[in-house]
Amino acid sequence: MSDSGVSRRDFLQIVGLGGTTVALAGCGNTSIESGVELVESYVQPENFVVPGVGVYYASTCVQCGAGCGIMGRVREGRVLKLEGNPESAISGGKICGLGQAAVQQHYSPDRLTTPMIMQNGSLQPATWEQAMTLLGATVAPADRTGKRVWLTGPTSGHQQILLRGLIDAGAATDHVVYDPLSTAVEASVNRRLFGVDQPVTLIDKAGLVLSFGNDFLGAGASPVAAARQYARFRKAARRGLLVQVEPKMTLTGANADRWVVIAPGTEGVFALGLARELVQRKDFAGVLPQALLASLEPYDQGAVSRITGVPGDLIPRLVGMLWEHAPSLVLVGRYPQGHAHGSHNVAAIALLNVILQNQGKTLMRAADLPFPQLAPTGGDFKALSDLNQAMAAGQCRSIVFHGTNPVYSAPDFLQFSANLQKVPFKAAWVTDLDETAMQCDLVLPLLSPLEDFGTHVAANQSDGTEISIQQPLMEKLYPQTRSFGDVLIELLRQARPESYKAFPDYYAYLKSAVINAKPAFQSQAPDEEFWEDTLSAGVLRRAAPLLPLTVAGLDPDMFRQPSSGTGSAGANDARYRFNLIPSVSASMRDGRPANLPWLQESPDTLTTVVWDSWAELHPSTAKALQIEEGDVLFLESRHGFIRVKAYLFPGIHPGSVAVPIGQGHLSYGRYATSVGANPLKILDPVFDQETGELAMYATRVAITKTGQNERLSKDEGPTNLQQGRKLVATLAADQVDLSKETPYVIR
Amino acid sequence: VFLLKAGNILRMAIGGWFYALITGSLAIAGLAFAGVPFQQGGPIGSQTEDGYNALGPVVTQPIEFPHYIHVEKMGIDCLYCHTYARRSAVSGIPRLSKCIGCHQSIESVKDTPRIKMLLDYWDKQQAIPWKKVHDEPDFVRFNHERHVQRFIFDQGRPTREACGYCHGDVGSMTTARRVKAISMGWCVSCHEKDHRIDAVSDKTSHGPNDCWQCHK
Repeated sequence: MSDSGVSRRDFLQIVGLGGTTVALAGCGNTSIESGVELVESYVQPENFVVPGVGVYYASTCVQCGAGCGIMGRVREGRVLKLEGNPESAISGGKICGLGQAAVQQHYSPDRLTTPMIMQNGSLQPATWEQAMTLLGATVAPADRTGKRVWLTGPTSGHQQILLRGLIDAGAATDHVVYDPLSTAVEASVNRRLFGVDQPVTLIDKAGLVLSFGNDFLGAGASPVAAARQYARFRKAARRGLLVQVEPKMTLTGANADRWVVIAPGTEGVFALGLARELVQRKDFAGVLPQALLASLEPYDQGAVSRITGVPGDLIPRLVGMLWEHAPSLVLVGRYPQGHAHGSHNVAAIALLNVILQNQGKTLMRAADLPFPQLAPTGGDFKALSDLNQAMAAGQCRSIVFHGTNPVYSAPDFLQFSANLQKVPFKAAWVTDLDETAMQCDLVLPLLSPLEDFGTHVAANQSDGTEISIQQPLMEKLYPQTRSFGDVLIELLRQARPESYKAFPDYYAYLKSAVINAKPAFQSQAPDEEFWEDTLSAGVLRRAAPLLPLTVAGLDPDMFRQPSSGTGSAGANDARYRFNLIPSVSASMRDGRPANLPWLQESPDTLTTVVWDSWAELHPSTAKALQIEEGDVLFLESRHGFIRVKAYLFPGIHPGSVAVPIGQGHLSYGRYATSVGANPLKILDPVFDQETGELAMYATRVAITKTGQNERLSKDEGPTNLQQGRKLVATLAADQVDLSKETPYVIR
Repeated sequence: VFLLKAGNILRMAIGGWFYALITGSLAIAGLAFAGVPFQQGGPIGSQTEDGYNALGPVVTQPIEFPHYIHVEKMGIDCLYCHTYARRSAVSGIPRLSKCIGCHQSIESVKDTPRIKMLLDYWDKQQAIPWKKVHDEPDFVRFNHERHVQRFIFDQGRPTREACGYCHGDVGSMTTARRVKAISMGWCVSCHEKDHRIDAVSDKTSHGPNDCWQCHK
């Protein structure tokens, strides 16, 4: 206020005058539209439809891959609000903020409403006939050399089967699944250790959860299901304890009983230190083979403390707690995976579960899916990297994008955007024009998820198996938008008429598939009734017990930590002194929800910052660099730089700087474009040695001050509690002379 | 009524010229800030049934629906067609299938221009784009169900009379037109009155006076 030369009193006077004007103008009731607006009327509604009274329809949330069952409140043909579907064992009738915002995505003013074709360097509206002619040319080209790729985000259910069908029919050569927030490293280690990608983690069955950066309450794989488990874990007769070990505090870390800050990338060393201490207890002595015991020897308290920065005495205390609060559960999150030795970190952490013999108690194997072909396919970075090489070599003839935005999320070192120009034909399916779509020759307008049919299968199902059914909650808003499934069916009808001619659209295909699946769900209902019941419930559930998890193989090489004893490559680099942590938030995830003002406006759970990116720095680091909140910084890696405002936060390792993922869009509608910065762009090309996955937390950056300071938009007040003024007088306890106080007598 | 009385008292209490000055300046303020509803409310100077200067506009509907034939000649109760009014906050518009339910078997009028239009909409399975006649600002929530319950079902007042409290005697009109002020002061003037709680007892209560009853 003082910057603009207007005092607080002046401001109130101006507001007062303005307020009067507004109040008088309000007398005009300009929102009355008698004789102008139409009344919603029906031709022949269902009997239960009453204008003004909401009707709930079941569907599935697709804002993330968790597959939560939802209910949409529909009134006068419009979906107004989403709730959780109590029939869904995943959501249990609950929903998260990201899920709520699906309504805003549906009504987004930036929705693409017509097909677009690139002409003379800009996208121009086109007809579906023109669009399908172009798409048809890539599906059935005269020249069949080169790759014809469909690049999607993580997928499951019948959409995935249709995509495989395209490849079987020769309509495409590859289906590549890419997820910038992939946990492929963890999946790879789990496969080697336990024989499954993702064991089911039962938080509510544990007495103590030791989590290495797993943000299961925030940006985890299934936050609603995890939060429900967590509530039971905390409300148990003996309250469950949560210990979180991570370099930057997550929402889950903020909820932990004990939050332990650790040098980035040294989680594996800490885990091995714990393992060494654990096996010295007689309860766990015989669990590991002798060869493995020897490999734990170097990780004594002193060494572990020196490498990780965690106080050495925490190890025996934590071991005591793990023993006392058994059964425990050790979780691994994104941070330990994102280093050159990510696989080794994950294996070292998983080893703790083996020593603590948690398998069969808190770590189980999911029940077998009745239809394995519907099981989810998680994306990975390696697939994108391989595709990028093929693009660079000119081996790609065409790419069709769906549910992914690699031009935004791929790091600059890949030069994905430039390589994309070498692909003769690019098409993208989008609801809103994003960076990838802007570079395509053809852009197709998708139905919103609240207008479309679909089936989804979640990865981590702890209560039986569930196929989540997605159905439209209302008629489509824009006549020219189309279902991805409908077009896949149309293409397949052309490519394989003998197999697909019976299905006029995706709806017919799904209906037939669900009815065919009836025997697996032990239903005696007639076909139509089974289909109606399925749509009404929103889920196809099959009760099935969890299966025991067995340890497939233990190999000392899996756990070997880098000999340098440091977390990430180049840790001693004099120029790039800080470790960059691109943090994942529950609302922004990989950046696709950034076009939703509800999520931009909802404060970050830890910093309360809105509508912006920020660089989280430890106060001691900031002090050493003479940085204050709001100072504009350049974070420079070997592959680029970003400009962000500083935010001082004690919940971060002093050698690190964290910038949230999700902002910094160059083209993604009016709400996302030009907000904040994108830390993914400046990542270093460091890869996990075992899987080739991008090591997301191994980038080193230099911090430079620009000399500017801009106010950071945030909800919290100044951290000095009195808001810069003496609002409440306080006195230190030792300065109070209690002898002068009137004694309080209990009568 | 309450406002008119207050106006008389004000006129008596102060000199006529001063009253004219105040009302004149208020009128200017009204024109400056809020001229729209006065202009839209029919010809300037036209008054609502209850004496307010806010008669609603003549609304041209896609079909010139004759309420008087249905109500006065045929004796159909308002709630027979406007069935949602007793079930919901909004009264909605009768579904097209309801019109057709009767008219498909009324041979005598099936070739009249308006019924031809109606049947045409039905053949196309297209909803009739009726326009709003009694619209309220978005910050006002009027609940039909509550009023219908109180006056028709609890007090046993005739439907045509009870609906007419707010809508005027639509049963004598062709297409409906707003003939009551339906402004906040007008609503409050009725909420302040004592209304019998049912058809038999002498006990009365008045309508709620809380802001949030209507402004949610």
